[in-house]
Amino acid sequence: MSDHQNNGDSRVETFDARSPSRRRFLKSMGASGLAAATAPAWAQIAQASQQQQNAPVEPQDDGAPAEGEQQIQLTVNGVEHTLNVKPNAVLLDVLRDRLMLTGTKKGCDQGQCGACTLLVNDTAINSCLSLAVSHDGDSVTTIEGLSNGDELHPVQAAFWEHDAYQCGYCTSGQIMSAVAILNDDNIGSDDASVREAMSGNICRCGAYKNILAAVQDARGKMEGAS
Amino acid sequence: MSDSIIGAGPKRIDGQRKVTGEAPYAADHHPDNMAYGYGVFSTIASGTITGLDLEAARQSPGVIDIFHHNHFPELHRTPSSMAQGNKVEETRLPFEDNRVHYEGQFVALVVADTFDNARAAARKVGVSYQRDDAIANLDQGVKAHGTKPGSGNHERGDAEGNFDGAAHSIDVTYTTPVETHNPMEMHASVASWEGDRLSIFESSQGVVQQRGALSKIFGIPPSHIRVESPFIGSGFGSKLWMWPHAVAASVAARETGRPVQLVVPRPQMFTTTGHRPETRQRMRLATDDNGRLVSLRHESINTTSFTDQYVETCGSVTQSLYSCPNLTVSHETTRVNRGTPTSMRAPGAAPGLFALESAIDEMALAAGVDPLEFRLNNYADRDESQDLDFSSNHIREATEKAAEKFGWHDRNPEVGSMRDGHEIVGYGMAACNWEAIKRECEARVSLRADGTAYVTCATQDIGTGTYTIIAQTVSDITGLGLEKITVRLGDTSYPNGPISGGSWTTATTLPAVAAATREAIKELKGYATSEKGDFADVDNDSDSLVFENGQLTHDGQGVNYVDVLKGQKLASADGHAHTQGADDRYSYRSFGAHFVEVRWDPGISNLRVSRVVSAIDVGRVINSLTARNQVEGAIVMGLGMAHFEATDYDARNGRPVNNNYAEYVVPVHADQPPEVDVILLDYPDLEFNEFGARGIGEIGITGMAAAVANAVYHATGKRIRDLPIFKEKLMENIPAVQSA
Amino acid sequence: MREFDYARADSPRQAVSTHGSNEQAAYLAGGTTLLDLVKIDIMRPEQVVDINRLDLNEIETLDDGRTRIGALVTNTALARHERIQSDYTVLSEALLSGATTQLRNKATTAGNVMQRVRCPYFRDGVSSCNKREPGSGCAAIEGHNRSVHAVLGTSEHCIATHPSDMCVAMAAIGATVTVEGPEGQREIDFLDFHLLPGDAPEREHNLKPGELITHVTLDAPLNNGRSGYLKLRDRASYQFALASSAVIVTLDGDTIVDARVALGGVGTKPWRAHEAEKALKGQQVSESSFQRAAEIAMQGATPYAHNAFKIPLGQQAIVRNLTTLTA
Ligand SMILES: Cc1cc2nc3c(=O)[nH]c(=O)nc-3n(C[C@H](O)[C@H](O)[C@H](O)COP(=O)(O)OP(=O)(O)OC[C@H]3O[C@@H](n4cnc5c(N)ncnc54)[C@H](O)[C@@H]3O)c2cc1C
Ligand code: SF4
Ligand code: FES
Ligand code: FES
Repeated sequence: MSDHQNNGDSRVETFDARSPSRRRFLKSMGASGLAAATAPAWAQIAQASQQQQNAPVEPQDDGAPAEGEQQIQLTVNGVEHTLNVKPNAVLLDVLRDRLMLTGTKKGCDQGQCGACTLLVNDTAINSCLSLAVSHDGDSVTTIEGLSNGDELHPVQAAFWEHDAYQCGYCTSGQIMSAVAILNDDNIGSDDASVREAMSGNICRCGAYKNILAAVQDARGKMEGAS
Repeated sequence: MSDSIIGAGPKRIDGQRKVTGEAPYAADHHPDNMAYGYGVFSTIASGTITGLDLEAARQSPGVIDIFHHNHFPELHRTPSSMAQGNKVEETRLPFEDNRVHYEGQFVALVVADTFDNARAAARKVGVSYQRDDAIANLDQGVKAHGTKPGSGNHERGDAEGNFDGAAHSIDVTYTTPVETHNPMEMHASVASWEGDRLSIFESSQGVVQQRGALSKIFGIPPSHIRVESPFIGSGFGSKLWMWPHAVAASVAARETGRPVQLVVPRPQMFTTTGHRPETRQRMRLATDDNGRLVSLRHESINTTSFTDQYVETCGSVTQSLYSCPNLTVSHETTRVNRGTPTSMRAPGAAPGLFALESAIDEMALAAGVDPLEFRLNNYADRDESQDLDFSSNHIREATEKAAEKFGWHDRNPEVGSMRDGHEIVGYGMAACNWEAIKRECEARVSLRADGTAYVTCATQDIGTGTYTIIAQTVSDITGLGLEKITVRLGDTSYPNGPISGGSWTTATTLPAVAAATREAIKELKGYATSEKGDFADVDNDSDSLVFENGQLTHDGQGVNYVDVLKGQKLASADGHAHTQGADDRYSYRSFGAHFVEVRWDPGISNLRVSRVVSAIDVGRVINSLTARNQVEGAIVMGLGMAHFEATDYDARNGRPVNNNYAEYVVPVHADQPPEVDVILLDYPDLEFNEFGARGIGEIGITGMAAAVANAVYHATGKRIRDLPIFKEKLMENIPAVQSA
Repeated sequence: MREFDYARADSPRQAVSTHGSNEQAAYLAGGTTLLDLVKIDIMRPEQVVDINRLDLNEIETLDDGRTRIGALVTNTALARHERIQSDYTVLSEALLSGATTQLRNKATTAGNVMQRVRCPYFRDGVSSCNKREPGSGCAAIEGHNRSVHAVLGTSEHCIATHPSDMCVAMAAIGATVTVEGPEGQREIDFLDFHLLPGDAPEREHNLKPGELITHVTLDAPLNNGRSGYLKLRDRASYQFALASSAVIVTLDGDTIVDARVALGGVGTKPWRAHEAEKALKGQQVSESSFQRAAEIAMQGATPYAHNAFKIPLGQQAIVRNLTTLTA
């Protein structure tokens, strides 16, 4: 699990388009919850993010924060991190540049595109407009925390099945938004409601038709399973 | 299996990596000890840098170095030749001198230990300028210094002489604004040096061209440079050719001795990474009494930069889509203070077909003919511009099929006659068209002893599905399942592949991959028939030795190829191929037609595209899932072009004013028409290549804007000749403004 | 973002005392305006006071029928609150028409009230802009002024629209802003909260330095009122209003008993159209009475080079909204 460290030589990473050559984030549900065994994995975002994961807890900033820094606790995909950050450090950058969780993308850095969407305490937000310090104690779920080992979340599986992307760059954000929407009873299940609710996730490739199909298909599967 | 995998719709082999966030894009790379660059960009569009105040920035936390025109190594320009493999669009190097040619040009580059520190310091750099008057738009350019002849002109017959006195004629001018590609992923470079070897992760549609350009610029051999772009957050043309940031990042990495990541911020994606230029297109068309075209002139001017000549070949389609004996196509450019334009999805054809297909609509009306009828009467049956037959052309069938499915014949031709509650419904159509290109290409295929195949080619998958169709190709020939095939692209250490653009990737790479696969099989047969082989007694070239579904068989006796290799302790049988570009026996083009329904609600001045039916003839479809997706996506982008998209520049100083994703309006989910129906005709074009595929990335956007504009005319009676079709162009009772 | 000091407040008192009357301090709520502007260097706070942990998350019905909203109630939570949906439909609809799902999840009630203009010349950091740099001029008046510039309430010093949708609904409903400051608590009528640009566009609101909004209290809903928000723009979602209307009406048969009309996208502040309301009262429901009121609402509007269409568009927003509500 050196993947989490800020010293990984990314040149060793292989670009095998066929299958993930390695998992950036080795997630195991562990034995920590009965819920894990009974409820479907995708019903457990909340639980997963609170569970003790087998994955080691790193990086950790054990030392006292340097001048001008503050120490925060962030639980990311169930892993607790202690980090020293500057007040102006942005949550998106901390995840990408320090925790090396690069699945969350930056498409504008100004809250305008949705590529950086992730869940904080199960609510979808733009991580580019969030200070890391103000999320001290919060629980963050990123695209890397969605699947359970090799078992994809139904929304991920549906995106793959329906070709709900082209370049894939907006995809993490689309999927995180979709997961939030599907778990939100306040948002209608009809196509127009989904389109409206997802309008903060721009797809410049224009794969909207397939994204909608994927979301609705995942809805069916999640309902069927729960 | 062999027959079905080509043309089937298997899901993407790289799909899992995309849906899990594992697919690595350029800025996802974090080599050891990496520093971050952040640009300082000009805030004037024309002038000279007279001073730089770097004190505050230097003292800013974490700053490592600050580059600018007085602190930048001497480099060389690239000759910028596509044939040589070193093309760029903006030939001027960053920080070359103190001149400013456009707003948003690099004027300094801060390198610091973190992204935030670099950005914070960049904000503290003070720049003073001597400002010159800027040429802010096409009109100003033409007025200030006229036009310069462009390329791609064509003339046949006597268009002028056959215009006056023709039975029906129109003389109209269309304009299209600057559009910005705005791929989701901002341009990014992560550069590192080891001695005099440069390695760079780039969001690139053309790693080989970038390597060539860097080689010329740094004066080091191509073999010392590795450009990698395994995944890219799309480009739509903006990432075909390297832009200044990649040079800046490479220099910063060399000078600081650390890997440097440099991302172009979204606002500068509007300035320093290309755009579709502004165009003005005059269309003069005339027909005889029977509604047959007798004269057609398409004269266009586009804006280019002060540093480079870029021609938007708006008339490229006009010269061959319709039959007309007297035809003139001409292109000119005029210089403005904007960055250098570049190809954007269907360059030339997208703005060109807005003009042509709107004009055809106007011409049909002037001649009193239904626009569908008019097109069927006038479509060319052979390419009159090149005097060649089309290799394969099913535009009539495409038009008729789409019309049928759309319900064109139920259309009441009277303007504004179709109502639905508050809304007026309009139907419009347009043809679409794109050239088919095939270039030379290399590829390497290994059939490996572990039962898998491994394919490499230095082309890219920009989201079009190249990984998958290459795997389909290998699967088709070898019988191996897709899960057994590894495809690697986007790395200059692989055999030379084409840029991912012009819709030519499919037609170019598949033949090379197929040939390399066959070469690998041939090598395998060589091993099998060698002394130590299972078929030592069989003649190597003998047709009786066949490879099928992973088996070598001879006279009913089969051996799995894995056993052939293992038997001789060999790792793999390898094939390398170098295939050639298209010949000139035919005119190779793709065809199609869009039918669009718009709804105009005059009570709230609301315009929506509610339905699109498109039929596309692109030869054989290799992957029905990804192909359909390409056309659907292009329709969305075409709808954006019709409806919203325009980069606005302040006419006083050339400043882009809506250079962000909130105010440069692109379609969002809610704009997706509830019904989009794409018909893929799927007629293999076997004259073009063995797969019969012509490529599908661009054609879907061509004609879309015209189809929308034609539908808007049908609904409202307003002919919008200037894109985008903003609501105010359709509204009544807008008070006049006294200019101050 | 430039460096700043950061402190998290545990109580409104503490927030106010940390902020003090320091002009260089800023409260951080959802951050969707503040961090956006800090990133592009338009706001440069030296001290950020994070108020996200303050206990200001309640929506309460007061005894007098008014509804009190905590400053930190998110736009999403407010839009979905049962009472807001039923009794203040216009507010719920306005909120849901604003920004995007993700942004609304972060954006707070007070932050929304305090959001800043989207004028590109304000945001570019270099053009002359009286709001950013008092006395430097206004690049928008003679510049590009199509989408985010106003026709009502403009001055020769600034023509930027107040971009909020939520505030337009609040202007129609009527509300009071409760603030806590170094000198204690006070209340400000919502309609007085935002200022017209006049000759001092740098002054956008009636807060004194360091004052913290703790609540916005909505007036009691009109009895039997029907209300709705209609937002007109280019694309179908996620865009600031080109013109919008918040309308509340009560009817007696076909007669309009009471009406509230406010406009967005066209004014330099959330725009209450009192005269139009007067014109509607006592009238029969009819297109002509709506049209007349709409014309009155836009009377005195000043068109600029690219936004003259907002005058008829604003009228359309009113007429259609009234038509739908009275149908
Ligand atoms: C891309 C984009 C699109 C948008 N589209 C729309 C739209 O269509 N319609 C719309 O209405 N809005 C839109 N918005 C604006 C959005 O609604 C506001 O940014 C949001 O409401 C601000 O709330 P916040 O909590 O994030 O404020 P913050 O950013 O935290 O604060 C905003 C300002 O208010 C101050 N402040 C915050 N809380 C208090 C308080 N309690 N007391 C005193 N001062 C305080 C801050 O110091 C800061 O100056 C959009 C924003 C973006 C980025
Ligand atoms: S309209 Fe207002 S915000 Fe815009 S430039 Fe003028 S003064 Fe500045
Ligand atoms: S990167 Fe956060 S919304 Fe674009
Ligand atoms: S898949 Fe490319 S932006 Fe959505």
